[in-house]
Amino acid sequence: MTRRAERRPRFAIAVTVLFFALLYLPVGVVVLFSFNAQKSLTVFEGFSLRWYEAFFHDDVLLDSLGMSLQVSLVAMAGSLVLGVALALGLVRARSQLGSFAGLVMLVPLITPEIVTGVAAMLLFKGTGITLSTGTVMLAEITFSISYVTVILRSRIAALNPEVEEAAMDLGATRRQALRLVTLPALLPTILASAVLIFALVFDDFVLAYFTTGVDPQPLSVRIYSAIRFGVQPTINAVGTLMLLGSAALIVLALAIPRLFGRRGGLDLLSGK
Amino acid sequence: MTRRKRSGAARPDRGPSASGARLWTWLMLPGTLWMTGFLLASLVLVATLAFGTTDPLGNPRFGLDFDNITTLADPAYSTVLLRSLGYALLTCAICLAVAYPVAYTIALHGGRFKNALIAAIVVPFFANYLVRMYGWSVVLSDDGPLLRALRAVGIADEDTKILQTGAGVVAGLVYGFIVFMIIPLYAALERMDTSLIEAGRDLYGGPLRTFFFVTVPATRQGAAAGCVLVFLPAMGDFVSAQLMGGPDQIMIGNLIQDKFFQGQNWPLGSALTMLLMAALFLGMLGYLRRTRKDEAEAAR
Repeated sequence: MTRRAERRPRFAIAVTVLFFALLYLPVGVVVLFSFNAQKSLTVFEGFSLRWYEAFFHDDVLLDSLGMSLQVSLVAMAGSLVLGVALALGLVRARSQLGSFAGLVMLVPLITPEIVTGVAAMLLFKGTGITLSTGTVMLAEITFSISYVTVILRSRIAALNPEVEEAAMDLGATRRQALRLVTLPALLPTILASAVLIFALVFDDFVLAYFTTGVDPQPLSVRIYSAIRFGVQPTINAVGTLMLLGSAALIVLALAIPRLFGRRGGLDLLSGK
Repeated sequence: MTRRKRSGAARPDRGPSASGARLWTWLMLPGTLWMTGFLLASLVLVATLAFGTTDPLGNPRFGLDFDNITTLADPAYSTVLLRSLGYALLTCAICLAVAYPVAYTIALHGGRFKNALIAAIVVPFFANYLVRMYGWSVVLSDDGPLLRALRAVGIADEDTKILQTGAGVVAGLVYGFIVFMIIPLYAALERMDTSLIEAGRDLYGGPLRTFFFVTVPATRQGAAAGCVLVFLPAMGDFVSAQLMGGPDQIMIGNLIQDKFFQGQNWPLGSALTMLLMAALFLGMLGYLRRTRKDEAEAAR
């Protein structure tokens, strides 16, 4: 509902246009120069797929890609199981454990990642666990539980508890009501957060950087070491593929509620 | 509160509701134990190791030693902390200055493109942070598109640099975290009663006066939330200073990274981590006092 009567704020619109240009310029540069025939990052010298070819022949990068996919899948599954249960308990239980759990799950969200990264690394090293793919998975699960819980909490609170109670009046046990009524109602939100967690974990750098072992390393950590040593055109190709992948996943996560007829889903856009 | 009453009335029989409570507790337990075991335990470990020492072989030793804490008083460290605070605050200010017009345009003049425009901001934000930073550093580089355009219109000359300066670091932080400012501001502007703006106009307020005396006060909670959400990650970041700044632009995140990876002084790294947390805690305290005051005023 825009009121046409109000004058258009020309200054604000100009800033917005400039903002969008600067938001997409770096992304555009990465994509454009991933197709560059030469090594240069400033002059485009013809179209070529050689950097993509280089990526698909780079065993180290491919191993990293495989590891990142593994970590994302495991972290997604683990944090969903723990996070959905935690969110259900948080909303429905009225206990001291509930208020404690509510505080603990907020900690990763208000702590800079470097702190949680350092802390996780010290925990592993302190208990004599060698850093590896497994430790990255454990750290990422911990981090993702918070996201799952935050996303699902408001959705569960919005569910009408009387539907569950009606099921129980019709003879269902509480567990059956949960399985047959509540969880199906939450399914779109659960799926959307699964996709989101996958994308977040796959792209995560800081936590992965502190908890990974030497070989293999997550793709984002490899990218980090590569760009510290100057121009690496292969990274443009990897980056472009990662941009495409994340964009597809986020669009999917946003579209899931529509596929289910607008029930639930992610509330990313209202900022809550 | 209301739910407690309602469900209490709906299930007067004790049996099922007691078993229900047990089910919810059982559901909550694994996640809570996991988070406590990993997260809280590891944070306690960092806090404890801050008082530790390193033995001659460079291995960390727990102890009750205040050497690391006194080391932090060294001007070399306080300079970096102050620089980090300055960069993070400047980042907040720039994000605020850019996010207000952007969120305002989309929320009040976006029409049916509102959601699409917000999604267009959110989607690149989820793309890999390093890839975005890397692309941004290419854009800002000495012969990159931005400086070339500025030179062409005469704003910059041959010697103007953005990379390897503090401006480059702040530019990186702004690019990295501005979405955290736009989303809460957009939510606040969308919720805002726009008849207030009309009232401001009716009272002969110019656009600027209306903005500063009507729009900003009505949305200051969104702005405060955005500032916290930008300030937290900006203070802890070490990628921006590494890719965009020179060696004299390092932030506290770079120091921490260095102590854990190059310097191998984990106790000192832990102490620096606690220093970062303390700085953020003070910032959060200020935010909480501000919002409490706002709520108290609103309640009156």
